[in-house]
Amino acid sequence: MPIIRDISLNLNMRDVLRRQGLGEVAKVRPEIKILIQELLASLECSCMLKPVSAYEYYTVRSMNDSQILLEGGKAIHGPLLPATFPDAKELVILLCTIGPGLEKQVTDYTNRAEPLRAMLLDGIGSAAVDKMVVEVLKRLASESSSRSYEISSPVNPGMPGFPLTEQWNLLKLVNAGEIGVRLTSSGVMVPRKSVSMVAGIGPEMKRWTQAEICARCKLSKTCHYKVTEQG
Amino acid sequence: MNKDLVSTIADLNEQEALKIVKDRLSAGEDPLKIMEDARKGLEIVGERFASSEYFIPDLVYSGEIMKLITELVKPQLTREEETRKSGKIVFGTVRGDIHDIGKNIVTFMLDVNGFEVIDLGVDVPEQKFVDKIKESGASIVGLSGFLTLAFDSMKQTIRAIEDAGLRDSVKVMIGGGQISEEIRKYTGADAYGKDAMAGVTLAKKWTGVN
Repeated sequence: MPIIRDISLNLNMRDVLRRQGLGEVAKVRPEIKILIQELLASLECSCMLKPVSAYEYYTVRSMNDSQILLEGGKAIHGPLLPATFPDAKELVILLCTIGPGLEKQVTDYTNRAEPLRAMLLDGIGSAAVDKMVVEVLKRLASESSSRSYEISSPVNPGMPGFPLTEQWNLLKLVNAGEIGVRLTSSGVMVPRKSVSMVAGIGPEMKRWTQAEICARCKLSKTCHYKVTEQG
Repeated sequence: MNKDLVSTIADLNEQEALKIVKDRLSAGEDPLKIMEDARKGLEIVGERFASSEYFIPDLVYSGEIMKLITELVKPQLTREEETRKSGKIVFGTVRGDIHDIGKNIVTFMLDVNGFEVIDLGVDVPEQKFVDKIKESGASIVGLSGFLTLAFDSMKQTIRAIEDAGLRDSVKVMIGGGQISEEIRKYTGADAYGKDAMAGVTLAKKWTGVN
């Protein structure tokens, strides 16, 4: 099971502000910016961020309207997958986490009645996961390219047509325990700053932008977090 | 120039606000009047947030300033004044969901706005909400959830409150990343808050606080 640990995140102010719902045009108070800079600096000298990713490729054997059947008698269920990856030769299942350190610090700030620090650090954690996914997908794209394949944009459990219950399946398929990710009884990943996804691999795979994903979302008119996302 | 406390808090000028409070306390001013001015400042922050002049971090920052002011004023209040609250609210992230940052922000803002918040934490079973409502006599319940799976838990929690015969004595608000009017109807809640300030506004409305 391939595992990537050397993932450089280099978070900047813009990444963090987007996760606070603050767009390019927002007037951000100097006090808030200073606090974000302090928190970003604290990441450098602590163990708060330990990005690690596990992934695995599976050859596609067949598919029907509701699932994709993979090598070794495995399958991923949900109509979104065959509809999104009809030409995939393989699927790659990917799991990314920044580890539990940052969440512990957020809890610590909350317990010390410092909600602003807690909230901003939590947003930094979300920005870190966002950036990590981009970096890991770039590497997988490069691996696919070396085999004359393309990688599609990913889909995540919880999207319409890809039930959240598939989390159990996905985490088994990438041996999540090896990178310290587990599920609660209701299917929530712990550490919370983790993300699982599936992408198609093949000669010509579909890609879509974040703006297109946002446009399809029911919350697109009210969501704070898409304001500065690149299309 | 020595600005007044209301506008200083509204402008989120922490140091200036704390200095004004200390000066007014030293001058022997009524601590309740100071708290009243501070709350007016907080209200203006809420209005600026509603008009998108301020953002969530600004809102939380105003809450932290209010908390510091309260700490300064508290020793001057009588026991009765100190413990006087606008209303009691039972709050928690519903069963199955473990996200808490949004809940923590709302409960913090409710607290600095004068409400007594009983925070049950995350992954809270239905019965725990029911038991705490009975025990505390709270008139408001806040159900938080970030994931779509939380919608069913919210619905079941409200049903459990109904089954316990408590539905008519409490108002229920729900909130979280995906919550909409459609979800409010599905769960049977009285209202949903799209952000922390909306939660505070609802609680004030339901308790008759101006």
